[in-house]
Amino acid sequence: MEVAAPIEVSDVTLRYRLDRNRVGTVKEAAVRFVKRDHSYESILALDGVTFTVSPGEIFGVIGPNGAGKSTLMKIIARVLPPSSGRVIVRGSVAPMIELGAGFNPEFTARENVIIYGALLGRDPKFMRERVDVIVEWAGVADFVDIPVRTFSSGMKGRLAFSVATDIEPDILLVDEVLAVGDQAFRKKSEARMNELISGGASVVVVSHALGLVRRLSERVMWIDSGRVKMIGPAQEVVDAYEASG
Amino acid sequence: MTVAQPTVYYDSDQNRRPLITEFRNFWRYRGLIKLLVVRQLTVRYKRSVLGVWWTVLNPILTIAVLWVIFSNFFGRGGTLDEPYIVYLSAGILLSTYFVQGVNSTGASIINSRNILVKMYLPPEIFALVTALAAAAHFILSLVPLFLLQLLTGVGIPWTVILVPLPLVTMLMFVTGIGLLIASAAVYFRDVLDITRVLTSLVNFLIPTFWTIGILEGKSALTLVENNPVYSYLVSFRLLVYKGVIPERRFLIMMVVSSVVALMLGVYVFSRNWRRVVVRL
Repeated sequence: MEVAAPIEVSDVTLRYRLDRNRVGTVKEAAVRFVKRDHSYESILALDGVTFTVSPGEIFGVIGPNGAGKSTLMKIIARVLPPSSGRVIVRGSVAPMIELGAGFNPEFTARENVIIYGALLGRDPKFMRERVDVIVEWAGVADFVDIPVRTFSSGMKGRLAFSVATDIEPDILLVDEVLAVGDQAFRKKSEARMNELISGGASVVVVSHALGLVRRLSERVMWIDSGRVKMIGPAQEVVDAYEASG
Repeated sequence: MTVAQPTVYYDSDQNRRPLITEFRNFWRYRGLIKLLVVRQLTVRYKRSVLGVWWTVLNPILTIAVLWVIFSNFFGRGGTLDEPYIVYLSAGILLSTYFVQGVNSTGASIINSRNILVKMYLPPEIFALVTALAAAAHFILSLVPLFLLQLLTGVGIPWTVILVPLPLVTMLMFVTGIGLLIASAAVYFRDVLDITRVLTSLVNFLIPTFWTIGILEGKSALTLVENNPVYSYLVSFRLLVYKGVIPERRFLIMMVVSSVVALMLGVYVFSRNWRRVVVRL
């Protein structure tokens, strides 16, 4: 018997309704109602995207800016519900997108680690036990009881990365986060990613670093304007994408 | 050989089951809710000496001003058995709880936008957190009220142990109304301004600084008496310093209005959340 795919995305469409005259207030809406102005623009951020990720696979997503890559990640991470189509995710997810959202500058690193972990769905009690390990790994152990507002952006990035990868997830969603921190930390974080991957995690990686995508991924999907242009072996797709200029 | 299938964690086709989903989320995320309430209570005052007591200062100043102006009108004439200052304080504290609760809960979803568009969390927990913070402020403000009751010789009757009844039903009432406003506020930002204006009229719709006696024989009396917030106000005063159990009609009004408001708020929010998230 086959293990079900950790990620199944079928015919997913995301439609934003952009009101042309930006109805933002009751007053405006009333005025427009009186004027019988009902025009609005609908924007397709994703249009009929279909793919599956197999267990333990590293799946790359490439495409130009605004192609819908990050939107797609948010749909898999459950942040945005698809307008139509279906997403099924089987297993625990570590979303490494928008790292450090939810950090509050007034709170100490310790408090932020606990809150951030809890926001990621982990038990606060468990987080309290893990704080020391997490700050140690991020290299900010000496500043654990100091407000995060005094931290450099690199320190914050490392701390967030350390929290996000503190568990062993079944699925890892990576959106350009390998650019966190200095050279030494980048090496360290790549090593941890590889550790998680060899532990059997499936990975979806979004990146503009084509070399990295080609090297890491088994299969790659190329999307443009919300549509799948090509999906297949990494080498082939990245080459085609590069050839397209 | 069978391979263990991992549990489905997320299926976008699984729709919310209004009410069930939300109450389950409230329970599932209780640890986070606790953390966020503490965060909300402390963050604004991290660097101030008075700390969280600043929030209590606001209603106290309102009370002081109203007392100076109205103690001569309502404090005499024998309409009140208790000192006017105690009557006034209890009234203002309760209406502050309602007004601040509704306004902040209404704004809670928009204010949590930064987190909600970046990571998955059931948005309704942010509404509950904000309403809980308003309740916590109300509890803190009971301390100066108790002091006042002791100083004026009114004392603290045994019925204070029943104050959680108006406290908790008001929490449900505020959460429900707050969720209704929060759903609308995502579409129309000025809903929050409109709410602020409307709720600022509350002190004229329920007898906080004035006494119900001045409406004797007027048609406005029925309007005030059938206002659900009035039942919370009367019950709170009776329990916190009068030492009297409220009449049954007030108890029924509190319980019914809180349950209806909460169910309605959660239901409307649940039915709309898909459209709401995308618009945040």
